[in-house]
Amino acid sequence: MTVAASPHTTTPALVELRGVSKAYGAKRVVDHLDLDIRPGELFAFLGPNGAGKTTTIKMVCGLLRPTAGSVIIDGFPASTREARARLAFVPDQPYLYGKLTGREFLRFVVEMYAMDRRRAALRTAELIETFELASFIDDLCETYSHGMRQRVVFASALVHEPRVLVVDEPLIGLDPRSARIVKNLFISQARSGVAVLMSTHLLAIAEELADTIGIIHQGRLLARGTLDDLKRHYREEGSLEDMFLRLTEGDRPTTPFNPGAVAP
Amino acid sequence: MSLDSRGPGNPRKRTVHALRWLRWRQTCNHFTALVRGSWLRVVLVALFSAIFWGLLFFLFRDGFRFIDAILPSTNEIVEYLFGLFFLSLMVMLVVSSGILVYASLYQSEEAAFLLSTPAADDRVFAHLFRDALVFASWGLFLLGSPMLAAYGLVADAGWPFFALVLPYLVVFVLLAGSTGAAGSMLLARYAPRRTKTVLGLLLAAMLIGGLVYAVRLLATPGQVFSLDWIDALLDRLSASQSPWLPSRWLARGLVSAARGDAAQGLYDLWILASHAALAYLFAAWLSTRFLRSGFSRARSASSARRRHGVYAIDALFHRVFAFLPAPARLLILKDFRCFRRDPAQWAQFLLFFGLLGLYFLNIQRLNSGDDAWPPFWKHVIGFLNLSVAALILSTFTTRFVFPLLSLEGRNLWVLGLLPMSRRTILWGKFLFATGLSLVATITLVLLSDLMLRLPPGVIALHILAISILCAGLAAISVGLGAILPDLRQDDPSKIAAGLGGTLNLVVSLIYIALVIVVLAVPAPWYLELLDRSQPPGDSPIRAVLSLAAVLIGALSLGAIATWLPMRWGIRAFEQLEA
Repeated sequence: MTVAASPHTTTPALVELRGVSKAYGAKRVVDHLDLDIRPGELFAFLGPNGAGKTTTIKMVCGLLRPTAGSVIIDGFPASTREARARLAFVPDQPYLYGKLTGREFLRFVVEMYAMDRRRAALRTAELIETFELASFIDDLCETYSHGMRQRVVFASALVHEPRVLVVDEPLIGLDPRSARIVKNLFISQARSGVAVLMSTHLLAIAEELADTIGIIHQGRLLARGTLDDLKRHYREEGSLEDMFLRLTEGDRPTTPFNPGAVAP
Repeated sequence: MSLDSRGPGNPRKRTVHALRWLRWRQTCNHFTALVRGSWLRVVLVALFSAIFWGLLFFLFRDGFRFIDAILPSTNEIVEYLFGLFFLSLMVMLVVSSGILVYASLYQSEEAAFLLSTPAADDRVFAHLFRDALVFASWGLFLLGSPMLAAYGLVADAGWPFFALVLPYLVVFVLLAGSTGAAGSMLLARYAPRRTKTVLGLLLAAMLIGGLVYAVRLLATPGQVFSLDWIDALLDRLSASQSPWLPSRWLARGLVSAARGDAAQGLYDLWILASHAALAYLFAAWLSTRFLRSGFSRARSASSARRRHGVYAIDALFHRVFAFLPAPARLLILKDFRCFRRDPAQWAQFLLFFGLLGLYFLNIQRLNSGDDAWPPFWKHVIGFLNLSVAALILSTFTTRFVFPLLSLEGRNLWVLGLLPMSRRTILWGKFLFATGLSLVATITLVLLSDLMLRLPPGVIALHILAISILCAGLAAISVGLGAILPDLRQDDPSKIAAGLGGTLNLVVSLIYIALVIVVLAVPAPWYLELLDRSQPPGDSPIRAVLSLAAVLIGALSLGAIATWLPMRWGIRAFEQLEA
């Protein structure tokens, strides 16, 4: 399935990366990255292990500072309070307080984001139902399985109604039912105007969900566009997997792919 | 505490309330889970803490009474001793809180989570700093409170002294902790790649400084406890009495309060509190400037991959232990590599055993010339030193050996699929723990006995005793670690602090007590055989029989303590499903 919703390219971007580079010592893990993600856009960041996906995501969340360039979230620099208030981040190894129950954790997040309490109560109840948390939400988080933890973390990420949702490897460790819930959630969030940035190395997920796909390798964005755009540009008859392998295994394009150059 | 009743709409205030509420809920839930789940642990911890506190109290009380009885101007000497004691604690607190704050702010997943929320940086700092400070300072309260209570009792201090003790300790801890926190934030900001170098240099400086100071004190001229000796000693302690040192304000204030000068006590408390507040403000200000950038730098620095190769020490290990089957040898080598690549393990090992070695080295000073101890006391001190080495070893085996199997955690299936029996795996861990323990403890016991100038027979007996203790303690930790594994936990300190770790410590302490009692109680009867300087007893048969009984008893205890836990551990490990 391919998501039909296509964001307007004229709408101002919610996530803007301009000339972003990041070096760990002498090693440059992100190299001059330019990226826009607009409201309602579901952007899948694809790349092999160590390509720079997680580092980019942490810069978007304001946890890491770029060595060069700027990261802007809804008009605010990524490290500011205003940017963080508009953003939700679900890391690949999500953090939960073991000695809080899931419900207590959601209440804590509501307070940290200073939400209106009446609205938050309704939203919490809605998310408990959406993610099917009712049977364990009042148990201590330390007793949860990975899937249960992941669902509670997704609920906590959405409880404050972010404008930007950033997710690192979202489906790892989820059973098919939980994975379906999460995938539906991404689509519904994007359709409601949220900019979703998802990092994954599961190509099928990107193929199934993403409006736009960005392929990153060795810190450089090799290609960006819709699946059809990319296939057309690289004259790729096969699957996204074939194209991905071709791009990331040395057979790289001589010029970076520019979405503006692709005919609609 | 309810969130709904607090805070209007101000986001900053709501963050503050939310973080307070978080800690409150965590504490309540933790306590409830403890009482429901492992009440035995709660009772044991409370009981052993009370016993430990009581023992310290009586020890300090007798110490102060001794000083009061034989020395003039007790208060002056106590003020000097407090000054030195709290100066040492202050240095240790600055370093330990610095390390803990660094780990909390820059390495914990909680910090990453909180920094991704809209919480202000100084609120995140305050939240994580408080937790780290409690963790860094509980030892000071456990050690300082019985000492000060005993001093107050002996000095017949009034209620102002007792009322001031807690505020003094709290502001003292806040001052040292804030200084350490400020240092760790500056380190993360300006030298995130040099943290280990800086820490190593700091520890080395502390060790050398402590050594130089200790040697100077122990080399104080004159007959011990004579007036000249006391004068010279106070002169050498004067460096810890600088009016610029917070430890000095604390010592002076408390001694003044004990003497009935409450105004001076309050004045010094005020000075200490204002400096603590200033230090905390400085640290909080630094956090608004440097926390986020330091976090980014520290995380970026730690992402650089480290490469480790094959070392000569590994080759040497293979040669020395060539008699072991290759898979077992490789498994032991794996644990050894983990040990030497984890500074938390070897640093604690070196610190504990290094300090003990330092003390043993200085025994000679108290055991020479006119001050030489009679043979009976030498033997008593020899046994006490042996016990201390074993006690320290038991904390080490509980902290690092007991969690070994639990730490395999998610990789347990790898061990299960290895072409060797699980029995061999467990014996491999036992050999690793025993070997490492033997090297450290035999060195220490030899050092202690040589400094005490004990006869060769007694030294041989002590080496046998510490070997039995090493084997037993290693087997208890490996065996119980296999019987009570916590495969979901990847933090060894939490595994050691769990029910299994607590039980391991208790069993280890009982074992040490049994071995020492078996060896020491009949000592007057058999020592004449080992120590020719002892007067011969009236019943040589009794001496021979008591020595034989001691050897058989200690060896039997060692065999039981080694065989039983290993047998039960192997059985549990073989039934464990990876």
